[in-house]
Amino acid sequence: MFGLPDITILTVGITIVIAIAALLYWGLTFKGHD
Amino acid sequence: MAADLTTIGVVSLYFLGMLAIGAWTSKKIKNTEDYLVAGRSLGFWVFVLLMIGTVCSGMSLLGVSGLGYKVGWPTIWEQIFVPLSIGFCVIFFGVKLHNVAKTSGYMTVQDYLAHRYESPVALRSLAAVAGIIVSLIYLVGQYTAIAIVLMWLFEIPLWLALLIATLVTMVYTAIGGLYAVAWASLIQSFILIIGVIVMAPIIIFYAGGFTHVNEVMTSINPNLVMPWMPSGAFAVPYIFSFAILLMIGLACAPHVINNVLSIKDVKFFKWAPLAAFLIYGAAMFLLKFTGFAGITMVKEGIFKLPAVTNAQDYVILYGIQYSIPTIAFWGIFAVIVLAAVMSTTDRLMLTIGAMVSWDLYKKVLKPDAPDKTVLLLSKIVVVLSAFGTMILAINPPEMLAILIWMGIGVMLSTFAVPLLAGLYWRGATRQGALAAMSLGLASSLVFGFLNYFKVVFAGVDFAKIPLHFSFYAFVIAIIAMSVVSMATRKTAEKVLDETQTGWYISKQ
Repeated sequence: MFGLPDITILTVGITIVIAIAALLYWGLTFKGHD
Repeated sequence: MAADLTTIGVVSLYFLGMLAIGAWTSKKIKNTEDYLVAGRSLGFWVFVLLMIGTVCSGMSLLGVSGLGYKVGWPTIWEQIFVPLSIGFCVIFFGVKLHNVAKTSGYMTVQDYLAHRYESPVALRSLAAVAGIIVSLIYLVGQYTAIAIVLMWLFEIPLWLALLIATLVTMVYTAIGGLYAVAWASLIQSFILIIGVIVMAPIIIFYAGGFTHVNEVMTSINPNLVMPWMPSGAFAVPYIFSFAILLMIGLACAPHVINNVLSIKDVKFFKWAPLAAFLIYGAAMFLLKFTGFAGITMVKEGIFKLPAVTNAQDYVILYGIQYSIPTIAFWGIFAVIVLAAVMSTTDRLMLTIGAMVSWDLYKKVLKPDAPDKTVLLLSKIVVVLSAFGTMILAINPPEMLAILIWMGIGVMLSTFAVPLLAGLYWRGATRQGALAAMSLGLASSLVFGFLNYFKVVFAGVDFAKIPLHFSFYAFVIAIIAMSVVSMATRKTAEKVLDETQTGWYISKQ
């Protein structure tokens, strides 16, 4: 796909998904207090 | 190329806009707290774009596409871990520092280190001096980037290019403090993001499209489209250390981490990491792809890069020049690069001002100094640091070029361990922090020099070490912190409770 080897799409794609999921989890669970 | 009247007009308009922000925000400055932490009043988007603007330097624009041009897809991890540094800074440093700062009134991160490690003079001074040195070095690197663009665009001498950029940035930073820096960053980051999102696809399209670019890279060298190189720089171990360097090194850089003290409400930290990652990540990916497009354009003879040592840093400039023939766009592009450079240089100058006037003068040399004097000194230091680094950038000594190259690596090795251990490990002591900071700084310089000069010592070829040089210094700092802390007297429980030290991010 896109002229790229599968391993490039998989490793980069999975890393991005994990990063977004982690930041999404942070946003949903952090309550904070002031 | 020589700029026409449209380009000069666009760039002049941008400069005037920045000066207007300085004039407007200067009215908000009543005391040092307003000047250094914007009265702790920044809203969500101003904070998010301030963080993006601070992290995204001039070298991000020129260097990201340049590295992509040189090494290809194995460098793509930079586009994930640099945007993640904002999230790392907010989550692992920001929440606690903000919460403690509410009661302790921290103006700088050195305030936290002095409090947490019960070291109002020694550690504060070491952290401030180290912070000033690395910030100055980083600042000179930024001016080098600004000079490349202005000289390319206007065909003016280096000294004049530097003088123009320095004067504008210095004036609005000196008069408006962090208010000016934050509001300027809001505009600058907006320009930068929109500019990259509009212009990068045009360059990629001009190069034949995304798939064609990847196919050409494969035909030149199949490793250029792999996620890592088979050995050496950008092999898997190196990428691991590179990720640590970018994500943690940038997060704890003095000009980045101090931003967390200026936010109005800790609740803004909830979605700031994701917002920053998505916005900045998208722009950075596109920038990297322009570097890849440059490989195709050079291979197919569309343009040739200049015969200089850092030729790859010019790839985006040439890409724009050849794919967007409308002259007006060049002016807009110049503003994009200027925005990227100035959004970092202004924050660096202010950080240096804070460390000199607040940490060294007010907190160490003259504790009874009135607020007005501290405020005035902050402004004077901003002006001096601007001109001092400008002079260094006009004729940089060879040693300086090496130090700029070491930049973030030195920040990681010096600040990451004392900050992380201070926030999360109740066993970390003052002596441990002093040892970690001084050994981290010294060893990063040693490893950096050995690596840069390709030294072979005791059978080790330092040109071919498998990890980024800063990672070794980072590990030395961890060992120093652990060993010395375990051998020395613990910090008082009262201080540990006041500074919310422990294995948690936030007590909810």
